[in-house]
Amino acid sequence: MRVIYRSLIILLPLIVLITYGTILITDQDDALVYFEPKEFPQFDLQDLEDREIDLAAFNGISLLNVWASWCITCLVEHPFLTQLSKNEITVIGLNYKDSQLKAQQWLGKRGDPYLFSIYDPRGDLAFDLGVTGAPETFLIFNQEIIGHIQGELNQEKWQSTLVPLINAATMANR
Amino acid sequence: MKLLTTVLFSCIFLATYLTADAIYEFDNSVEEKRFYSLISEIRCPKCTSGSIASSDVPVSRDLKQKVYELILAGSTDKEIKAYVTDRFGASSDYKPAFEGANYLLWFGPFIFLGILMLIFLSNRRL
Repeated sequence: MRVIYRSLIILLPLIVLITYGTILITDQDDALVYFEPKEFPQFDLQDLEDREIDLAAFNGISLLNVWASWCITCLVEHPFLTQLSKNEITVIGLNYKDSQLKAQQWLGKRGDPYLFSIYDPRGDLAFDLGVTGAPETFLIFNQEIIGHIQGELNQEKWQSTLVPLINAATMANR
Repeated sequence: MKLLTTVLFSCIFLATYLTADAIYEFDNSVEEKRFYSLISEIRCPKCTSGSIASSDVPVSRDLKQKVYELILAGSTDKEIKAYVTDRFGASSDYKPAFEGANYLLWFGPFIFLGILMLIFLSNRRL
Protein backbone atom coordinates (compact mmCIF):
# COMPACT_ATOMS: atom_id res chain seq x y z
CA MET A 1 0.00 0.00 0.00
CA ARG A 2 2.75 2.37 1.05
CA VAL A 3 4.59 1.72 -2.21
CA ILE A 4 1.55 2.75 -4.22
CA TYR A 5 1.18 6.03 -2.29
CA ARG A 6 4.88 6.75 -2.56
CA SER A 7 4.87 6.14 -6.29
CA LEU A 8 2.16 8.85 -6.50
CA ILE A 9 4.87 11.41 -5.73
CA ILE A 10 6.43 10.64 -9.07
CA LEU A 11 3.30 9.59 -10.95
CA LEU A 12 1.10 12.62 -10.19
CA PRO A 13 3.48 15.27 -11.53
CA LEU A 14 4.11 13.01 -14.52
CA ILE A 15 0.37 12.74 -15.25
CA VAL A 16 -0.03 16.51 -14.95
CA LEU A 17 2.98 17.06 -17.20
CA ILE A 18 1.71 14.67 -19.88
CA THR A 19 -1.84 16.06 -19.77
CA TYR A 20 -0.76 19.69 -20.15
CA GLY A 21 1.93 18.68 -22.63
CA THR A 22 -0.63 17.09 -24.93
CA ILE A 23 -2.93 20.11 -24.61
CA LEU A 24 -0.07 22.38 -25.65
CA ILE A 25 1.12 20.15 -28.48
CA THR A 26 -2.34 19.55 -29.99
CA ASP A 27 -3.23 21.98 -32.76
CA GLN A 28 -5.68 24.41 -31.17
CA ASP A 29 -7.67 24.59 -34.41
CA ASP A 30 -9.01 21.13 -33.68
CA ALA A 31 -10.59 22.52 -30.53
CA LEU A 32 -12.85 24.62 -32.75
CA VAL A 33 -14.80 21.51 -33.66
CA TYR A 34 -16.68 22.16 -30.40
CA PHE A 35 -17.87 25.64 -31.26
CA GLU A 36 -20.69 27.09 -29.23
CA PRO A 37 -23.27 28.52 -31.66
CA LYS A 38 -23.83 32.26 -31.54
CA GLU A 39 -26.52 34.43 -33.02
CA PHE A 40 -25.39 36.52 -35.98
CA PRO A 41 -25.09 40.14 -34.82
CA GLN A 42 -27.32 42.86 -36.23
CA PHE A 43 -25.69 45.32 -38.58
CA ASP A 44 -26.47 48.29 -40.74
CA LEU A 45 -24.14 48.05 -43.74
CA GLN A 46 -24.35 47.81 -47.54
CA ASP A 47 -22.36 45.63 -49.88
CA LEU A 48 -19.41 46.79 -51.98
CA GLU A 49 -21.79 47.89 -54.76
CA ASP A 50 -23.89 49.95 -52.27
CA ARG A 51 -26.76 47.50 -52.43
CA GLU A 52 -28.82 46.43 -49.41
CA ILE A 53 -27.80 43.10 -47.87
CA ASP A 54 -30.21 40.22 -48.44
CA LEU A 55 -30.21 38.32 -45.14
CA ALA A 56 -31.77 35.33 -46.89
CA ALA A 57 -28.23 34.52 -48.02
CA PHE A 58 -27.49 33.43 -44.45
CA ASN A 59 -30.11 30.67 -44.57
CA GLY A 60 -28.74 27.17 -44.96
CA ILE A 61 -24.98 26.67 -44.95
CA SER A 62 -22.77 29.59 -45.91
CA LEU A 63 -19.29 30.90 -45.21
CA LEU A 64 -18.55 34.47 -44.22
CA ASN A 65 -14.96 35.28 -45.15
CA VAL A 66 -13.29 38.37 -43.70
CA TRP A 67 -10.95 39.87 -46.29
CA ALA A 68 -9.25 43.08 -47.37
CA SER A 69 -7.17 44.24 -50.31
CA TRP A 70 -4.28 44.99 -47.91
CA CYS A 71 -4.33 41.44 -46.55
CA ILE A 72 -1.59 39.18 -47.90
CA THR A 73 -2.92 35.91 -46.49
CA CYS A 74 -6.26 36.63 -48.19
CA LEU A 75 -4.39 36.30 -51.49
CA VAL A 76 -3.09 32.91 -50.39
CA GLU A 77 -6.53 31.51 -49.57
CA HIS A 78 -8.22 33.17 -52.55
CA PRO A 79 -7.85 30.17 -54.92
CA PHE A 80 -9.28 27.81 -52.29
CA LEU A 81 -12.27 30.08 -51.67
CA THR A 82 -12.85 30.29 -55.42
CA GLN A 83 -12.80 26.50 -55.59
CA LEU A 84 -15.25 26.26 -52.64
CA SER A 85 -17.64 28.77 -54.20
CA LYS A 86 -17.70 26.67 -57.37
CA ASN A 87 -18.66 23.60 -55.33
CA GLU A 88 -22.08 25.02 -54.48
CA ILE A 89 -21.04 26.52 -51.15
CA THR A 90 -22.21 30.07 -50.64
CA VAL A 91 -19.25 32.27 -49.75
CA ILE A 92 -20.09 35.76 -48.55
CA GLY A 93 -17.36 38.36 -48.12
CA LEU A 94 -16.88 40.79 -45.27
CA ASN A 95 -14.62 43.51 -46.60
CA TYR A 96 -12.74 44.66 -43.50
CA LYS A 97 -11.25 48.13 -42.94
CA ASP A 98 -10.63 48.65 -46.63
CA SER A 99 -11.30 51.30 -49.22
CA GLN A 100 -14.23 50.59 -51.49
CA LEU A 101 -12.28 51.37 -54.65
CA LYS A 102 -9.28 49.22 -53.72
CA ALA A 103 -11.55 46.35 -52.73
CA GLN A 104 -13.44 46.50 -56.04
CA GLN A 105 -10.17 46.62 -57.97
CA TRP A 106 -8.83 43.64 -55.99
CA LEU A 107 -11.90 41.57 -56.90
CA GLY A 108 -11.76 42.76 -60.50
CA LYS A 109 -8.14 41.72 -60.84
CA ARG A 110 -8.25 38.35 -59.05
CA GLY A 111 -11.83 37.21 -59.51
CA ASP A 112 -14.76 37.41 -57.13
CA PRO A 113 -15.62 34.20 -55.25
CA TYR A 114 -18.20 36.00 -53.10
CA LEU A 115 -21.96 36.07 -53.59
CA PHE A 116 -21.55 39.64 -52.34
CA SER A 117 -19.18 41.42 -49.98
CA ILE A 118 -20.44 43.38 -47.00
CA TYR A 119 -18.54 46.68 -46.95
CA ASP A 120 -17.35 47.33 -43.39
CA PRO A 121 -14.77 50.15 -43.59
CA ARG A 122 -14.68 50.86 -39.83
CA GLY A 123 -14.90 47.21 -38.81
CA ASP A 124 -18.20 47.60 -36.90
CA LEU A 125 -19.76 44.26 -37.81
CA ALA A 126 -16.31 42.67 -37.59
CA PHE A 127 -15.96 43.91 -34.00
CA ASP A 128 -19.35 42.45 -33.05
CA LEU A 129 -18.30 39.16 -34.64
CA GLY A 130 -15.07 39.14 -32.61
CA VAL A 131 -12.79 39.46 -35.63
CA THR A 132 -9.16 39.99 -34.61
CA GLY A 133 -7.73 40.48 -38.11
CA ALA A 134 -7.95 39.24 -41.67
CA PRO A 135 -8.45 36.62 -42.94
CA GLU A 136 -11.00 34.92 -40.74
CA THR A 137 -13.87 32.69 -41.76
CA PHE A 138 -17.20 32.08 -40.05
CA LEU A 139 -19.44 29.13 -40.74
CA ILE A 140 -23.09 30.12 -40.76
CA PHE A 141 -26.11 27.87 -40.60
CA ASN A 142 -29.61 29.39 -40.71
CA GLN A 143 -28.51 32.85 -39.49
CA GLU A 144 -26.44 31.34 -36.68
CA ILE A 145 -22.64 31.27 -36.40
CA ILE A 146 -21.61 27.66 -35.86
CA GLY A 147 -17.88 27.83 -36.57
CA HIS A 148 -14.95 30.23 -36.68
CA ILE A 149 -11.48 29.95 -38.20
CA GLN A 150 -8.72 32.50 -37.74
CA GLY A 151 -6.08 32.75 -40.42
CA GLU A 152 -5.81 31.07 -43.78
CA LEU A 153 -8.59 28.69 -44.80
CA ASN A 154 -7.18 25.74 -46.74
CA GLN A 155 -8.13 22.21 -47.69
CA GLU A 156 -6.72 20.80 -44.45
CA LYS A 157 -8.61 23.19 -42.14
CA TRP A 158 -11.74 22.81 -44.24
CA GLN A 159 -11.63 19.03 -43.81
CA SER A 160 -10.59 18.96 -40.15
CA THR A 161 -12.78 21.74 -38.76
CA LEU A 162 -15.55 22.98 -41.03
CA VAL A 163 -16.72 19.75 -42.65
CA PRO A 164 -17.40 18.03 -39.27
CA LEU A 165 -19.31 21.13 -38.11
CA ILE A 166 -21.37 21.21 -41.31
CA ASN A 167 -22.16 17.50 -40.97
CA ALA A 168 -23.17 17.91 -37.33
CA ALA A 169 -25.41 20.88 -38.10
CA THR A 170 -27.19 19.27 -41.06
CA MET A 171 -27.59 15.96 -39.19
CA ALA A 172 -29.22 17.70 -36.21
CA ASN A 173 -31.67 19.49 -38.50
CA ARG A 174 -32.72 16.55 -40.61
CA MET B 1 19.91 81.62 -32.63
CA LYS B 2 17.01 82.03 -30.26
CA LEU B 3 14.56 81.52 -33.13
CA LEU B 4 16.34 78.35 -34.22
CA THR B 5 16.20 76.92 -30.69
CA THR B 6 12.50 77.72 -30.47
CA VAL B 7 11.79 76.06 -33.80
CA LEU B 8 13.81 72.97 -32.90
CA PHE B 9 12.10 72.60 -29.54
CA SER B 10 8.67 73.00 -31.12
CA CYS B 11 9.61 70.24 -33.55
CA ILE B 12 10.45 67.91 -30.66
CA PHE B 13 7.17 68.60 -28.88
CA LEU B 14 5.17 68.40 -32.07
CA ALA B 15 6.72 65.04 -32.87
CA THR B 16 5.60 63.49 -29.57
CA TYR B 17 2.16 64.98 -30.12
CA LEU B 18 1.88 63.45 -33.58
CA THR B 19 3.04 59.95 -32.59
CA ALA B 20 0.66 59.66 -29.64
CA ASP B 21 -2.13 58.03 -31.65
CA ALA B 22 -4.86 57.93 -29.04
CA ILE B 23 -5.43 60.24 -26.10
CA TYR B 24 -8.26 59.36 -23.77
CA GLU B 25 -9.79 62.27 -21.93
CA PHE B 26 -12.13 61.82 -19.01
CA ASP B 27 -14.36 64.12 -17.01
CA ASN B 28 -13.11 62.77 -13.70
CA SER B 29 -10.28 60.67 -12.32
CA VAL B 30 -12.62 57.84 -11.23
CA GLU B 31 -13.53 57.11 -14.84
CA GLU B 32 -9.90 57.39 -15.84
CA LYS B 33 -8.83 54.88 -13.18
CA ARG B 34 -11.61 52.51 -14.23
CA PHE B 35 -10.45 52.78 -17.84
CA TYR B 36 -6.83 51.93 -17.11
CA SER B 37 -7.72 49.08 -14.78
CA LEU B 38 -10.20 47.64 -17.32
CA ILE B 39 -7.79 47.71 -20.25
CA SER B 40 -5.17 45.95 -18.14
CA GLU B 41 -7.71 43.19 -17.39
CA ILE B 42 -8.79 42.54 -20.98
CA ARG B 43 -6.68 40.13 -22.99
CA CYS B 44 -5.41 41.17 -26.39
CA PRO B 45 -7.08 38.65 -28.75
CA LYS B 46 -4.22 38.83 -31.23
CA CYS B 47 -1.40 38.29 -28.73
CA THR B 48 -0.06 35.10 -27.13
CA SER B 49 -0.36 36.73 -23.74
CA GLY B 50 -0.80 40.34 -22.77
CA SER B 51 -3.50 42.89 -22.07
CA ILE B 52 -4.89 45.36 -24.59
CA ALA B 53 -3.17 48.06 -22.51
CA SER B 54 0.20 46.62 -23.49
CA SER B 55 -0.68 46.08 -27.15
CA ASP B 56 -0.98 48.34 -30.15
CA VAL B 57 -2.40 45.92 -32.74
CA PRO B 58 -5.49 47.29 -34.54
CA VAL B 59 -7.97 45.07 -32.70
CA SER B 60 -6.56 46.18 -29.32
CA ARG B 61 -6.88 49.79 -30.39
CA ASP B 62 -10.51 49.15 -31.36
CA LEU B 63 -11.13 47.46 -28.01
CA LYS B 64 -9.60 50.32 -26.04
CA GLN B 65 -11.68 52.81 -28.01
CA LYS B 66 -14.83 50.76 -27.32
CA VAL B 67 -14.07 50.50 -23.59
CA TYR B 68 -13.50 54.27 -23.57
CA GLU B 69 -16.82 54.93 -25.32
CA LEU B 70 -18.69 52.55 -23.02
CA ILE B 71 -17.26 54.23 -19.91
CA LEU B 72 -18.32 57.64 -21.22
CA ALA B 73 -21.77 56.22 -21.98
CA GLY B 74 -22.07 55.20 -18.32
CA SER B 75 -21.67 51.41 -18.55
CA THR B 76 -20.54 49.55 -15.44
CA ASP B 77 -17.31 47.52 -15.37
CA LYS B 78 -19.38 44.33 -15.38
CA GLU B 79 -21.35 45.41 -18.44
CA ILE B 80 -18.17 46.33 -20.30
CA LYS B 81 -16.56 42.97 -19.52
CA ALA B 82 -19.73 41.17 -20.63
CA TYR B 83 -19.68 43.23 -23.83
CA VAL B 84 -16.12 42.15 -24.58
CA THR B 85 -16.45 38.48 -23.60
CA ASP B 86 -19.65 38.15 -25.67
CA ARG B 87 -17.62 39.03 -28.73
CA PHE B 88 -14.08 37.79 -28.07
CA GLY B 89 -14.78 34.85 -25.76
CA ALA B 90 -14.60 34.24 -22.01
CA SER B 91 -10.81 33.93 -22.15
CA SER B 92 -10.51 37.64 -22.96
CA ASP B 93 -11.23 38.43 -19.31
CA TYR B 94 -8.01 38.23 -17.28
CA LYS B 95 -9.93 38.54 -14.03
CA PRO B 96 -12.96 36.24 -14.21
CA ALA B 97 -15.90 37.17 -11.97
CA PHE B 98 -16.54 35.28 -8.71
CA GLU B 99 -19.60 33.34 -9.87
CA GLY B 100 -20.91 30.04 -11.19
CA ALA B 101 -18.35 27.72 -12.74
CA ASN B 102 -15.62 30.30 -12.10
CA TYR B 103 -15.47 29.24 -8.43
CA LEU B 104 -13.76 26.08 -9.64
CA LEU B 105 -11.29 28.22 -11.56
CA TRP B 106 -10.46 30.35 -8.53
CA PHE B 107 -10.46 27.67 -5.84
CA GLY B 108 -9.68 24.56 -7.93
CA PRO B 109 -5.93 24.61 -7.20
CA PHE B 110 -6.54 24.94 -3.45
CA ILE B 111 -9.11 22.13 -3.48
CA PHE B 112 -6.65 19.96 -5.39
CA LEU B 113 -3.87 20.82 -2.94
CA GLY B 114 -6.20 20.07 0.00
CA ILE B 115 -7.10 16.64 -1.40
CA LEU B 116 -3.42 15.84 -1.94
CA MET B 117 -2.58 16.90 1.63
CA LEU B 118 -5.42 14.73 2.99
CA ILE B 119 -4.19 11.71 1.05
CA PHE B 120 -0.61 12.06 2.22
CA LEU B 121 -1.53 12.88 5.84
CA SER B 122 -3.93 9.96 6.16
CA ASN B 123 -1.25 7.76 4.64
CA ARG B 124 1.24 8.80 7.36
CA ARG B 125 -1.03 7.69 10.21
CA LEU B 126 -1.59 4.26 8.75
